Amino acid sequence: MKTLPDWLTDNPDTAALANMLSPESSRPVEELAAESRAITLRRFGRTMTLYAPLYLSNYCSSGCAYCGFASDRQTPRHRLEPDEIRRELAAMKKLGISDVLLLTGERTAAADFDYLQRSVAIAAEEMPRVAVEAFPMNVNEYRTLANCGCTGITIYQETYNRERYEELHRWGPKKDFIDRLETPERALDGGIKSVGLGVLLGLSDPVEDALCLYRHVRHLGRKWWRAGISVSFPRMRPQTGGYEPPFPVNDHLLARIIFAFRIALPDTELVLSTRESATFRDGMAGLGITRMSVESKTTVGGYDETDNLKDKRDKGQFEISDDRTAREFCAALRHQNIVPVFKNWEPAYNGPSATIHHERDADRSASTITPETETCH
Amino acid sequence: MDLLQIGSYTFSSRLILGTGKFSNSRVMLEAVRASGAQLVTVALRRFNREQAEDDLFAPLSSIEGITLMPNTSGASTAAEAVRAAHIARDLSGSPFIKVEIHPNPQHLMPDPIETFEASRILAKEGFLVMPYIAADPVLAKRLEEVGCASVMPLGSAIGSGQGLATSEMLNIIIRESGIPVIVDAGLRSPSEAAHAMEMGCEAVLVNSAVAAAGNPPVMAEAFAEAVAAGRKAFRAGLMEKSGSAVATSPLTFLGTF
Repeated sequence: MKTLPDWLTDNPDTAALANMLSPESSRPVEELAAESRAITLRRFGRTMTLYAPLYLSNYCSSGCAYCGFASDRQTPRHRLEPDEIRRELAAMKKLGISDVLLLTGERTAAADFDYLQRSVAIAAEEMPRVAVEAFPMNVNEYRTLANCGCTGITIYQETYNRERYEELHRWGPKKDFIDRLETPERALDGGIKSVGLGVLLGLSDPVEDALCLYRHVRHLGRKWWRAGISVSFPRMRPQTGGYEPPFPVNDHLLARIIFAFRIALPDTELVLSTRESATFRDGMAGLGITRMSVESKTTVGGYDETDNLKDKRDKGQFEISDDRTAREFCAALRHQNIVPVFKNWEPAYNGPSATIHHERDADRSASTITPETETCH
Repeated sequence: MDLLQIGSYTFSSRLILGTGKFSNSRVMLEAVRASGAQLVTVALRRFNREQAEDDLFAPLSSIEGITLMPNTSGASTAAEAVRAAHIARDLSGSPFIKVEIHPNPQHLMPDPIETFEASRILAKEGFLVMPYIAADPVLAKRLEEVGCASVMPLGSAIGSGQGLATSEMLNIIIRESGIPVIVDAGLRSPSEAAHAMEMGCEAVLVNSAVAAAGNPPVMAEAFAEAVAAGRKAFRAGLMEKSGSAVATSPLTFLGTF
């Protein structure tokens, strides 16, 4: 069994964060909230960047105990074909969405790399920003995705507790803890510009997981210094399979974790999805969170109301909590003096990150700066 | 009249406003108007042709007497910034481009190498290039040599509100520069803007300090007044500080040496 990397086990700079997260912390949550709010306002202003997920496929080869799409779940399986993807994207654009996160399950014959790559290319024609939350890939595959217009990869470790990880991932490729841990590094080596990290809160000791997550962010930030890094705070939600989280995280602790991360990582994008309630999301807007999903569907497709899946729709990967429309959600943000920002990216910045260019000609012009690799096809 | 001159353009206001981070475009426009700014910068990534409400370009274009200076915030390489500059010029019709290349999206520090490269290419193409840089006197001269219209060194990190933390380097840049020096980023209070102007900056750019203020339009006005006061003080010539004392009466009684 591969040993854990030093950065995960032997990282000294977590003391301040540990102190803020400790149940015996001397700092009341109100004090953390005030500091977190001030940092967020200075650094990000009164803005909230919005995105929405699009599940391309719910075929899966892994057996994650907590997931509604695990391969043993009795749920209708489906994948979107190119014309369906286009219709879904068109429906999303009508909501204002211009930043899309494409999702699949673990790699399967039905939804493999070629399928994902084609889907990314379609999405990049329609949306200024495209990110992917799918299966771990190799460096060349990531580079191809970057060439197709994929800007970011979301890959949650779910839990950094290796024993818990082994138990929860009952079978399938996702069972390899170290391979998963190294996935963001491969994505960044492949020229993907930003990575989204997170733990699925509820699976294991949340404070321990939060500290490891912080170490992961710091490790990537030091070595892949150009990387955009965002951190999400997903809590377990009810799902097909009925898995009950053994370490439930209440609102108070989740808020404390978010404030502490904002203070420890003043410049990092912090993300909160529609897993959380409208009340909690509205409360956290402006206090530390800078990116939120909006009007999300966790079913395959689901935005295009003219699709023919109505009777055989899956139940989604998990139940969402904040089911407000984009319009309602934006009104709530504005009510709090926060501007919803749908477009905060420019396709001119797409293409593999400069991390792959270790050496460059001293005398080059714009026209000679081209990506080195596999093109999108 | 004391005008700010950049390329062949002249401006009576020496306050440049950034347009991100505001709670909505109405407040942003009020702040722009209250600031009297004639040059405003706007990120290309905030241009949204799909959704008018999300777009920052259109509302700014509606204000008379405003020149847009698109910026390339989000670019991490020279090539990306050059592509963005071309798109921005097509959209805005403005010859100005604020070259912002910060490959590390966490702290937004400008990359001197990529910024130099993009600025060189864009200046050659005829843009009025306004590069956002660290307060590096040598880089400032190199950018002047390749034809930039100004240099925009940071006072401190973007959004930090740490003020003129780089004042020692800024003084060298100002003293040596043959093109306008515009302090960009890090300012928190009007007094800091006044200080920058007293040092001899040709203009200052603020965004967070106004957008994150309790009352952005009033703060914009306060910055405008501070910038005007600082400029006036610079032109009037500040009294020397003690430590570099000069005799109050000239030594004419000694006769010529």
